[in-house]
Amino acid sequence: MTNERFLRQSFLGESGQEVIGRCLVGLVGLGGGGGHIALQLAHVGFMNYVTYDADFAEDSNLNRLVIAIEADVAAGTPKVEAAKRRILGVRGAAHVETYRCRWQERPEPLRACDLVFGCVDSFAERRELEACCRRYLIPYIDIGMDLHQAGDEPPVMGGQVILSMPNGPCMFCLGYLTEEKLGREAARYGAAGGRPQVVWPNGVLASTAVGVAVDLLTDWSRSLRGPVYLAYRGNDGTVVPHPRLVHFRGGACPHYPPDQVGDPLFKRL
Amino acid sequence: MNVRLRLTRQLYDQVRRDLLRPHPFAAERVGFLFARLGNVGTAAPLVCFTAYRPLADERYIDDPHSGARIDSQAIRAAMQQVIDRGEGAFHMHMHAWPGKPHFSPMDRNELPRLIPSFQAVGPGCAHGLLLLSHDACAAEVWLPGSKRSVEAARISVVGFPMQLIPGGET
Repeated sequence: MTNERFLRQSFLGESGQEVIGRCLVGLVGLGGGGGHIALQLAHVGFMNYVTYDADFAEDSNLNRLVIAIEADVAAGTPKVEAAKRRILGVRGAAHVETYRCRWQERPEPLRACDLVFGCVDSFAERRELEACCRRYLIPYIDIGMDLHQAGDEPPVMGGQVILSMPNGPCMFCLGYLTEEKLGREAARYGAAGGRPQVVWPNGVLASTAVGVAVDLLTDWSRSLRGPVYLAYRGNDGTVVPHPRLVHFRGGACPHYPPDQVGDPLFKRL
Repeated sequence: MNVRLRLTRQLYDQVRRDLLRPHPFAAERVGFLFARLGNVGTAAPLVCFTAYRPLADERYIDDPHSGARIDSQAIRAAMQQVIDRGEGAFHMHMHAWPGKPHFSPMDRNELPRLIPSFQAVGPGCAHGLLLLSHDACAAEVWLPGSKRSVEAARISVVGFPMQLIPGGET
């Protein structure tokens, strides 16, 4: 590691840069959002990665997949390999584990991570990922975008960045996940088709998420002291604290009790 | 083997607050952390701490040759917690200065004797010894069924801010 490389981020402190280099970061989903995150983490100085994505680079991804190029589409490069190549291009000594599968098929490496980014498409995936992170005491950062259109009105672009900390409010507590949303999603399973995804909101959300992670690890701002739930409003280009967080009353998370950690066990009755 | 320990910031702060309290005669304080295992059967097991039990002042024995010596009732109470909670027990103490702490020769000689007692009542759990300093830690972990300890690679304090305290990792 050359000190000169990080001269312009020396405000993170020597120990901050060390922590970044020591952190084992998990990336689940290396599409539009996850690709941006992988690349930015490499620039910031992260050295240890566990990456998951079952998909290959396709032509329909190239409108937003910053880790892939046309040759990857032609070669059928797995997204995890495209991400690894980009990370190593910036940080040649980085250690990148790639899993071309769903994380649920190889959960052990994910559990070892110090921090996990979730860039997944469905509410059900988010619920599973957050539950795993809670069980193994891992901070979880979720990003996602969506586009809604009603009638003749222009589409409304939105997104979220959520930091879910063990012992803090979860995505259910914050109202981002609800049984109703999960039920609706399950009901339309297989009928949804491809949802709109574009590069610029992915970039905003990924940058915001990386900023949250760096602050969490280095404490450079000395102001990150609670859960994060940021709302991206694509139509006016703003990222603001979500009203649900502003009005969140606090209290212990009833969904993930503090003693429900480690591998699940059968208990004697 | 790359054993990692994790606990929340709330729990870590509770431990530090307790261990830094002065005792009427003992030079150090002792407590027990309880933990569940994760990633069992892999090369990267996780020890996730769930709760801390401080020791009452009267559980200490006045021994000028030792920083802190505790009585058999304190050990029995920790064993009972292992049974009741179904969790492993970790003996905790602190060297209140910066830098990587080291178990003293007396620590190395005497503290591992606790482990067979904990293993007898919690054979499926990880037990161990954890020594904190202001900014680092040293931890020895006995995985289920093991007679030998493994030095923990790191302890992660999960909260605001995160702390990845290096242990035996290189």
